Parts: sequence; C-alpha cells; structure tokens
Amino acid sequence: MSDIIVTSLNAMTLISILMLVSMGLAIIYGLMNVINLAHGEFVTIGAYTLAMVQAWGGDFWLALVLAPLVGYAFGSLIEVVLIRRLYQRPIAIILATWGLGLVLQQLIQLAFGAAPLPASSPFAGALTLFGTSFPAYRLFLIGITIAIVTGCAAVFRFTNFGLDVRAVIQDGAMAESLGIDTAKVYRRAFGAGAALAALAGVLIAPLTAVVAQMGVNYLARSFFVVTIGGPGTIVGVAAGSGIVGGLETLFNHEMPATLSQALVLALAAALMRFRPNGLLGSAAGSR
Amino acid sequence: MKKHKRPRSSSVTWLAGAAVLFVGLALAPTGVGAYDLASIRDIMLFALFAVSLDLFWGRTGILSFGHATFFGIGAYGMAIATVKLGLPAGIGSIVGLGLGTALAALLAFGVGYFLIRGGVRGAYFTITTLALSLIAQQTAVGWSSVTGGDSGLIGVPALGYGELQLTDPIAQFYVVWGVLLTVSLGAWAVLRGRHGLVLKMIEDNEVKAETMGYSTSLYLIGLFTLSATVAALAGALYATMTGFVAPDMLGLILSTEVIMWVATGGRGLILGAIVGTIVVSELQQRISSIDTKLWPMFMGLFFIAMVFLFPDGLLSVVWRVGALLRRDKANGEVRR
Repeated sequence: MSDIIVTSLNAMTLISILMLVSMGLAIIYGLMNVINLAHGEFVTIGAYTLAMVQAWGGDFWLALVLAPLVGYAFGSLIEVVLIRRLYQRPIAIILATWGLGLVLQQLIQLAFGAAPLPASSPFAGALTLFGTSFPAYRLFLIGITIAIVTGCAAVFRFTNFGLDVRAVIQDGAMAESLGIDTAKVYRRAFGAGAALAALAGVLIAPLTAVVAQMGVNYLARSFFVVTIGGPGTIVGVAAGSGIVGGLETLFNHEMPATLSQALVLALAAALMRFRPNGLLGSAAGSR
Repeated sequence: MKKHKRPRSSSVTWLAGAAVLFVGLALAPTGVGAYDLASIRDIMLFALFAVSLDLFWGRTGILSFGHATFFGIGAYGMAIATVKLGLPAGIGSIVGLGLGTALAALLAFGVGYFLIRGGVRGAYFTITTLALSLIAQQTAVGWSSVTGGDSGLIGVPALGYGELQLTDPIAQFYVVWGVLLTVSLGAWAVLRGRHGLVLKMIEDNEVKAETMGYSTSLYLIGLFTLSATVAALAGALYATMTGFVAPDMLGLILSTEVIMWVATGGRGLILGAIVGTIVVSELQQRISSIDTKLWPMFMGLFFIAMVFLFPDGLLSVVWRVGALLRRDKANGEVRR
C-alpha cells in the first residue's frame, strides 16, 4: 500500500516538473508555433539564478521572485534580437536557437565552471502523508505547480494580455487591424514563456545537479509533452505531462532511468503517427 | 516569396569539380605522414556521412536533426557483431556491416512510416528526429550489457573477409576514397535523374506532386531509408578503422556537426557536402587546438551567423561574389 502511495507521489513530482518546464514551451511552441531549442537553457538560467542568489547569502524565495524577471528580460531580448527576424523561416529558427543554446551553455560553463553548483531547498524535512513519509519539498513542488498552472490559465482567460495573445494567435493581421500591437504581444509572450522556464529552473534545481548542460534533459521531453497533449491548451500540457511522467515513473521500476526515458520518447513519437494534433486536438483538424 | 538563387552547375562543371577534388584526395598518401593520412581518411568518412544527410535534406528541404543516430547505429552494429557476439574475424566485419546498415535502414523506414506517412513534415520532423538522437544516445549509455555503456566498446577489428584483412593504412585510405567516390557519383546520378526531379517537385509543392500521381510519402520514406543506410555505412567503416565506438557517435553534437558540414557547403550540392566537411574539420582542429571548449561555442555562433548571413552555405558566398564579378565584366548587364 505504502509502495503505491510513494510511487504515485513520485510520479506526481515528475509530472509537476514536466508541467513546469512545458508551460513556458506551451506558450512559445504551442501558441506562437516557434520551435525554440534554447528553451532548456532558459531553465538552466533559472537554476543558476537560485545557485547564485544562495551563494550570495539570499534565500530560496528571493530567487523564486528574481528568476522569472531574469527569464523575462532575457526572453524578450532574444525575441527582439533573434526570433523576430525569423518568424517566416521555421527551420532557420531551429538552427539559430540551437546555436544560441550551445553558446549559452558554453558561456554559463565559462562563467561558473563545469562542476555542479549547490542549490538547496527551503525545507529539509519529510511529511507523513497517508501513513508514509515523503520529502516536504516535493509536496511543495506539487502544490506550487498546481498554483502556477492555474494562474497561467487565469491570465490567458481573464486578462487583457491573455485576450491579446489569443487574438494574435488566431489571426495576426486581423488583430493588428483592430489596434493590437502584435510585435509587442509576441515579445511579451516569448518573454513570459522564458520567465516560466526560469521559474521551473528554480523549482527543479534543489532536486537535480545544476550544470550548464542540464537544460537538454528537459528539452525533448517538454516538446513531446506539448505535442502529445495538443499544442495550445493548458489542459493539454497537463495531459501530456501526465502521460510522459506517469509512464516514465512506471518504467523506472523495470529498467535504468536512461532506457525508460528513451522508451517513453519512442512511444510519444509513435503516438504522433495516430494523433498528429495531440490527444486533445481534433483528429481531422489542419496541421 | 523570396527565392535565393542557387548556382546551377552544369554536368560538366560538376564532373570537373569532382575530378579535381577526388584526384587531389587520391594524391594525399604520397605527400603526408601516417597521422595526417588517418585523419584525412576519417574526414572522408565524415564526408560520406555528410553526403548521406545532403541526400535527404538537400533534395527535400526536410531537415533531420538526428542523423548521427544512423551513423552510430552503423558503428554499434559493427562493434556488437565483432566484439560482443565474438564472431570470427573472417566473417565478423561483413556480418557487422550488414547488421549495422540493416538496423539503420529498418529504423529509418520505421521513423519514415510513423512520421512521414503520418503527415509530419518540416519543423515537426526536425524536432522528432532530434529526439531520436537523444533516445539513441540514452539507449547506448543505459543498455551497457550490449553497448558497453558510457565507455563504449573497444577492439573493433579491421574490415576483412576470410584471410583478407584491411589493416594497411594506405589500403584503408583508398577503400574509403573509393566508397566516397562511388556513393557521390551514385547520389549525383540519381538526383539529376527522374527521381531527383520528382523529389525537387515534392520540395516545391508536395500537394501538386501528389496530384500528379506520385506517392510522395513513398518517395520521401525511400530516400530517408537510403540516406540512413549510407550514414550507417560510414559509421560501420569508421568503427572498423578507429577500432572503437562510443555514445558520442549517436549523439546530438555529431548530429549538429553534420548539419554544419552540409550547410557550409550549401545544401543540395553533393560536392558541397564533401568540401564543407573538409573545411569545417580543418577549422575544428585549429580551434580545438587552442581550447577544446571553444568548439561548441564556435558551432553555436556559426549557426546563428548562418541563418542571417549565408542561408545557402558559406560556399555560396564565394559563388555569389563570382557571379557579381562576372556581371561587372558583362558591363553592368542586369538579368531579371
């Protein structure tokens, strides 16, 4: 019994991590249809923000506030300098953002060294839940993920910014003719995606090794999460994370972690054959 | 729609260029030492790998970001047959060659069936093949009982059949040279023929090609499988000549490098892929000799510069300058 609870809590931790990383991608890839291969590096930047803040004596909560700001500033800069000129050339965006990712990895490694940096969670202990003890930080992670995802959904549903983004996505030319500054909306949406990734980086950092290459681990998985769920919907991100994270936790019992990740990615790729628009997308829709 | 003008080399210039390049390469053993000879041999194998990518990306415009998967599977197939299965030296490397290329072809066909036939094109294909490279590398690291894990497999014997063993460095050099020449000529001949025209039509407008009665998915899957087989051939030969395999050979960095080689030469030109590989490999050695950490940074900057400054490849800049000079000579006569 306690085994089942621990396994499902582990699964929920992984699902939360995937959801956090994929939320930002759901905006950039799912909504804006930009394949940003530097997305993993936005996560890395968030994790390094936490490591730096703690190294200078600040605490976890300060980093949690600071990282999204760093991510937002950085993301908007990238959008203006790089992405904006390439919207009409999807393959060029892939190549340029991949190049950007490589440059960022090397710059981070040059600045902070190749050794993993320490990053600690705000609470150490464990909580007893349903008769089994589970690390408190992981429970916090699950909770804050639910809060962040709900918050994002609310922003898109109820704020003017959310409305503008949805309008621009649906029909950019029409949105512009109605007086929406589409360039600004794109910049802010890209920045928001990067901010979410950086936030995810802070939350993940205490559970993993903070190294310059950490982002690549999340890159392909989060793309599959967004694709499986059906691009452009927050419910889709939840469904995609549930499938990828759930299966991976399940397979982890039977085989090494690297193999189970590989198997899940292969299954996800196969799924695209039958549901090219994702589980929640319409099967007959345009692609 | 902005259409970049690609230099249309006629058959004669192409053949002349190929002749100069291959005669130059053939003369290499007379002038260089053993170390340089081995590195030119490896560069030619990488060039073969680049040709395999160019075959698909160059002619269809669909970018495979995981092409090292196939190179690596060729190499691992060879290593597993000879080192892990312990087949006798007389037959092992032939079986390994078959195993590696067959596995790669099968995988490419499977990927083609699931993705291409499923209607996945363009950027989505690119991202999925990128994941393929990650999957392959993780499998190679994780499945250590077969693949040797992180450290890979060492002691892959030289290519051989029966008593004949290809251990002489100069003989190895010419075998690789011959394979590269044969594949390049073959690729050139296929691409300029009817099938090449159909593929060109698919790149321009797939719906139109389909309407004209061509099974575009079948063409694309076939070409992708062929491309993967050539990549695996390069990988298998590479394993027999360097004597080891490692997870890097399936990984994203090699997948990135091969894109860089092809892009430098200008995609769609088989000769360009070879020249690109030579130029970039030389550059890599120079840069890495200063500091190995500089190379990934340089690659990153190269990719960013490429999309803005020379989307048709570095060599196209040379051609464009050449065209400009010719136009000046023609006394400012403007075509178009």
